[in-house]
Amino acid sequence: MSIINYASREIQFKIVYYGPALCGKTTNLAYIHERVCPANRGDLVSLATAADRTLFFDFLPLNAVVIKGFVTKFQLYTVPGQVIYNATRQLVLRSVDGVVFVADSQWEKMEENVESFRNLEENLAQQNISIDEIPYVLQYNKRDLGNIAPINYLEFLLNNRRKRAQSFEVTSSTGQNVFASLNAVSQMLLYKFSKQSNVTPTVAPPAVAGQPEPVAAPKIVVPARV
Amino acid sequence: MNCIPALTIENVASLDGILGDFLKQAEAELTVVIDRGGNVISQFGDVSVMDVTIIAALAAGSFAATRELARRIGEVEFNALYHQGNGSHIFMNSVDDDTIMITVFGRRTTVGLVRFYSATTAAAVSELLKSLPVTGGHGFTFDAADVTSVPLFVDRPV
Repeated sequence: MSIINYASREIQFKIVYYGPALCGKTTNLAYIHERVCPANRGDLVSLATAADRTLFFDFLPLNAVVIKGFVTKFQLYTVPGQVIYNATRQLVLRSVDGVVFVADSQWEKMEENVESFRNLEENLAQQNISIDEIPYVLQYNKRDLGNIAPINYLEFLLNNRRKRAQSFEVTSSTGQNVFASLNAVSQMLLYKFSKQSNVTPTVAPPAVAGQPEPVAAPKIVVPARV
Repeated sequence: MNCIPALTIENVASLDGILGDFLKQAEAELTVVIDRGGNVISQFGDVSVMDVTIIAALAAGSFAATRELARRIGEVEFNALYHQGNGSHIFMNSVDDDTIMITVFGRRTTVGLVRFYSATTAAAVSELLKSLPVTGGHGFTFDAADVTSVPLFVDRPV
């Protein structure tokens, strides 16, 4: 839930990176932290285990454009992807404004991707938020690996809704399209925010440029788990 | 807080008045009012030595994480949490269902004093937040095309 403060002249937004375990959510934040101008970012805070698995969340505050003298502040969070930490994911999703769903492109991760996306929908529903109302983008991560599903299959699995989301082929370890997806969700947030100045937030999410028609099911079969 | 919270200069001045009085009475260093999602609503005191945004995110997480612990002993949640350091300490207490108050204090005062004054302060903050007019929108108008046509964040080579 965005907050606007007329005294400190700030507008705050919360973006959550969501996805299955080890899909690259923390790598996204680490890359953004490394590459964004230091004057526009705070510290990257990671609450992780000794093995660098996210235990609670990662957090990165960013400052963006100034609109009419108001600084827009984006707070980026990740959730722990492991199934057992659902209570933590629900906590981190509280007051969320936008979501980047990070899918792992490897064939053996398809089931986990679908399960995680369903889990996202359920956890949003607990806050009375529909996935169709909230600005979100999809990342198909790890495109540099060999054993990956084609994009049309990922689109069929995760982006085959009536209103389709913008999606990106991402390699978070090298930074490919990490900023493109962050910029896309941030701009969708600002667009939605601009439409909420005088009306209740029942405005439809912004149409995504170049949105294609729903995807037909490709004739591809997920290989059995090794 | 079902609408978009928009704090006017008058609202913030009123909040600052309440928080300023509290800091004087409790002799604390800093107090921050946040929502349970970790967003800063208002802050008062010496903010030069710490990143309030990060403190807010971590405090909201800490408060939420102990809720499950509270349930195990038959409580809905813990109304207050205290983290004791060697020289600096943090006290957090619930303001209402959506809001938490964080107080950072040092050797000049005691947790008892902070706890005592924070209760009345939380009640006053809660009253003030409840009194904010509920409107459907935030009243801040701008043309989205001005900010959505260029990238907000730039990938800067290291």
